[in-house]
Amino acid sequence: MDDREFKSLLETARIGLTETESETIKNDLEEVINYFNKLDGVECGNVEPAYHPVEIPGIMRKDIPKEFKEKKELLDNTKTHRLYVVGPEV
Amino acid sequence: MKSYISEFESKDKPKDYYQKLLEELKGKNRELHVFNNLNEDLRDGFPFSVKDNICVRGVESTASSKILKTYKPPFNATVVERLQRQGFAFLGKTNMDEFGFGSFGINCETPARNPFNVDYVAGGSSSGAAVATSILKYHVAVAESTGGSISAPAAFCGVVGFTPTYGVVSRNGLIDYANSLDKIGFMARSAADIRKVLNMSVGRDEKDTTSLDARLRDEPKIQFSVINQLMNGLDDKVRSAFDKLLEKLKSMDYKINYVDLKDIEAAIPAYYIISTAEASTNLARYTGFKYGFKVGDFSKRYNDFFTEARMQFGSEAKRRIILGTFVRGASVKNRYYVKALKVRAMLGEKMRRILRESLIISPTMSITTPKISEVEKLSPVQTYALDMLTIPPNLCGFPHVSFPYEYIDDMPIGAQIVGDHFNDYAPISFVENWEGKFKYRFKYNIGAI
Amino acid sequence: MKIGLEVHVALPTKTKLFCSDSTSETREPNSQICPICVGFPGSRPVLNEEAVRVAKSIAIALNCRVREDISFIRKVYFYPDLPKSFQITQLSESIGSDGFLELEKKRVGIRRIQIEEDPARIIREEGYTLLDFNRSGIPLVEIVTEPDITTEEELREMVFTLRTILHYQGVDVNQEVKTDLNISLAEERVEIKNVTGIKNLIAAAQYEITRQGAIIKKGGVPEKETRSFDAASGTTKTSRKKESEEEYGFIYEPDLTVYDTKNLSENAMRIPTKIAMGLAVKHKANYSTILELIAFDTGALNLINEFEEEFDFKTIIASLEIMKRFGEPANSGVFKEILGLTDQKIDITRDVLKKIKAGDKVEIKKFSEPQIDETIREMLNSDKTIVEKYKKNKNVVNFIVGTISKKYGIQPRDAAARVEGVINKL
Repeated sequence: MDDREFKSLLETARIGLTETESETIKNDLEEVINYFNKLDGVECGNVEPAYHPVEIPGIMRKDIPKEFKEKKELLDNTKTHRLYVVGPEV
Repeated sequence: MKSYISEFESKDKPKDYYQKLLEELKGKNRELHVFNNLNEDLRDGFPFSVKDNICVRGVESTASSKILKTYKPPFNATVVERLQRQGFAFLGKTNMDEFGFGSFGINCETPARNPFNVDYVAGGSSSGAAVATSILKYHVAVAESTGGSISAPAAFCGVVGFTPTYGVVSRNGLIDYANSLDKIGFMARSAADIRKVLNMSVGRDEKDTTSLDARLRDEPKIQFSVINQLMNGLDDKVRSAFDKLLEKLKSMDYKINYVDLKDIEAAIPAYYIISTAEASTNLARYTGFKYGFKVGDFSKRYNDFFTEARMQFGSEAKRRIILGTFVRGASVKNRYYVKALKVRAMLGEKMRRILRESLIISPTMSITTPKISEVEKLSPVQTYALDMLTIPPNLCGFPHVSFPYEYIDDMPIGAQIVGDHFNDYAPISFVENWEGKFKYRFKYNIGAI
Repeated sequence: MKIGLEVHVALPTKTKLFCSDSTSETREPNSQICPICVGFPGSRPVLNEEAVRVAKSIAIALNCRVREDISFIRKVYFYPDLPKSFQITQLSESIGSDGFLELEKKRVGIRRIQIEEDPARIIREEGYTLLDFNRSGIPLVEIVTEPDITTEEELREMVFTLRTILHYQGVDVNQEVKTDLNISLAEERVEIKNVTGIKNLIAAAQYEITRQGAIIKKGGVPEKETRSFDAASGTTKTSRKKESEEEYGFIYEPDLTVYDTKNLSENAMRIPTKIAMGLAVKHKANYSTILELIAFDTGALNLINEFEEEFDFKTIIASLEIMKRFGEPANSGVFKEILGLTDQKIDITRDVLKKIKAGDKVEIKKFSEPQIDETIREMLNSDKTIVEKYKKNKNVVNFIVGTISKKYGIQPRDAAARVEGVINKL
């Protein structure tokens, strides 16, 4: 992985690193990815990817409104202005 | 069969029991960093602690991450609700590796310490849960395992740690690490107590799509399978202790069978690929304004604002986010993410064939409890490789229990029993049986009456 | 020229896609929210069956192959209005694929119909943003067309036809529809993101056709890029870099599973253009008139179906037009009265409508034609010179026409014709 790829990965993940952190993690990353490459040699036959370890039945929810009562507790976690949640400039 | 829950209920408690308990715990906490917070309002009921990545309404729940400081969930995790409904008393939130990222409990601001010797790791990621169980006489811990986060600390702290079949206990209220791998489970001082809390917690929850309405079985097996490939990397002390355990099991009329499980080593990369891929999406939501850590200056443009907020993640969290972002990138996704899912399917099928006729047994960890200073030096790949024994059942969602079976240099070591999907009570039954032959040792008995 | 669209519309459900908060209109910001749609740690999505059912119906209405086992994916991107920093959506596992929309002269391919969640409403301010999560988690379908549209006319027809179909699936087509528009006059495709409303969609297309056309005329080549439409100036401009597939890093949504859509009963399949054509042929009536009446008015179609056998088709259409003229909704009870009166050639004035609505009986003065003619003759007889004068100046009978029209409640034009008829017979 070259520096440009690494930098673009950081940007995609919105992760900032200090210079020393950057050096260590980039090296770690290469080591780990090499380790991951071991999977190339593993024969899986015709199996389908297992998105879950066990089968999960697809149960859906009925369309019945139910109010979440603790909205104040929820919004106490954040900064609000005229009932709106305040976020960063775009 | 020893049940601390039954014993506690049958005893008269002094009036100031809970107050004294809290005081003593606060003292111990300064030394061992067990709890991220304690419930000052502790009242009647059998005390249970909750790993800090599980939501308790109105109580700061941070998953030991700086980025979640001040987060107070406006709701309870389903498991917390169910235990409280049974009259259990919420004791406090236990320390852990940040977001569950670690095997030793050291990936957080103030790592929990091993109660047998504070220079040693408690194990992770459910470090505080294991330490709390090891120092409190009457207590159960609600913990969580993604790749071994219950087994590992349970083994290092000398307690029983149980991880159920994937989907058996609702994940509603769990601060996600990797949704297709995360399982809420328990730690206790006896298998009978595990059985009790598991009974109270299972059952479908409409708030978690992946929670199952499964009938759990208690299908005993007299045969134990030892997977040859897993025995290769054992430390000598662990190897000889484990061989002695197998002899002892034979004397208890269990049969030991050595089997090959080709490609079992692939479980580790498969696990780290799936878990980091999912984790990197789960952790994308931490952007510094809706809950937890606040950047404050909204006039920073959103990308800079988010990147600044995400400086709060610890190194291991950053590493796993970057890794996860990499492995699910469109150009390499089939090579890593999709392949890992296939490896999971393939290994799950192979393990299931073994588990139909037997339980799988292995040491829980391939090493004896390490010192904190020792594990700090390990590279990520070395650390990940140490999860070899706990990852296979976790990757494939099989129920498993870690229990103490020997003490080496006054430190406990643990073995792990894996059962087939939904045969959750079989490993627990075995440990109940084991406890008739072997007495666990604890250094502290806080709250003894 | 090639145009393709990605149209986003909200599904008509009572609750959000993954949580039980109401979707009803409200003015109070953040009054219909919960941990799930604000993306609080520990919460998780639970799929709304009704959203899937309606999405399936839309897929069928657009001639798609309906997937029997659907699942969802996470699409990761960072923006303040996206609570989890990923959107739960669909791609290859979408509810519908490979469909088409039938226009008068061609078919526009439908590549895919996917179910996804709406982000929060964002208000941009100097130095910060304001977020209203009431909209966060509203169920949407995104309809992705093939780039089969080749003229502005087709674009209009396509949008009109799509909207009528969606209206018949219960979708509120008056809501602000968000569309991404792909236009290429040359090889490379230009994407215009987030055009809100139909008027803007057409305006954006017009601008872009002109812009790209001008570049080509000068010997240039329009570049592949993402642009945004500025409604105030009516222009498009190069916008922020869009995330690439690499960056989205789609993974399976592991908090959900695979859902069977086989047993979800779809809505009645009513395609307004087809229905209008059927009625036009059956009754030898005008296709456009019928389509215009029923396109966004299921009630009007219901009335046609209800009275089709009992009444003359022209009378029904005339009555519906009267309803429309006076702004009466098709479900109002007055239709039967209007239909009855129209059938008897009674002119429906605003006064008459008022009487009907007040529940008053509308006096129907019924006179036979000979009776009317007799009255005309009597009036002509009262002034013998009139018939002579009439030959030079038809206006001399105006007062007779007026009186007849008023007395018998018939149109002045009809009254004039009657008078002329009587004079000619004399």
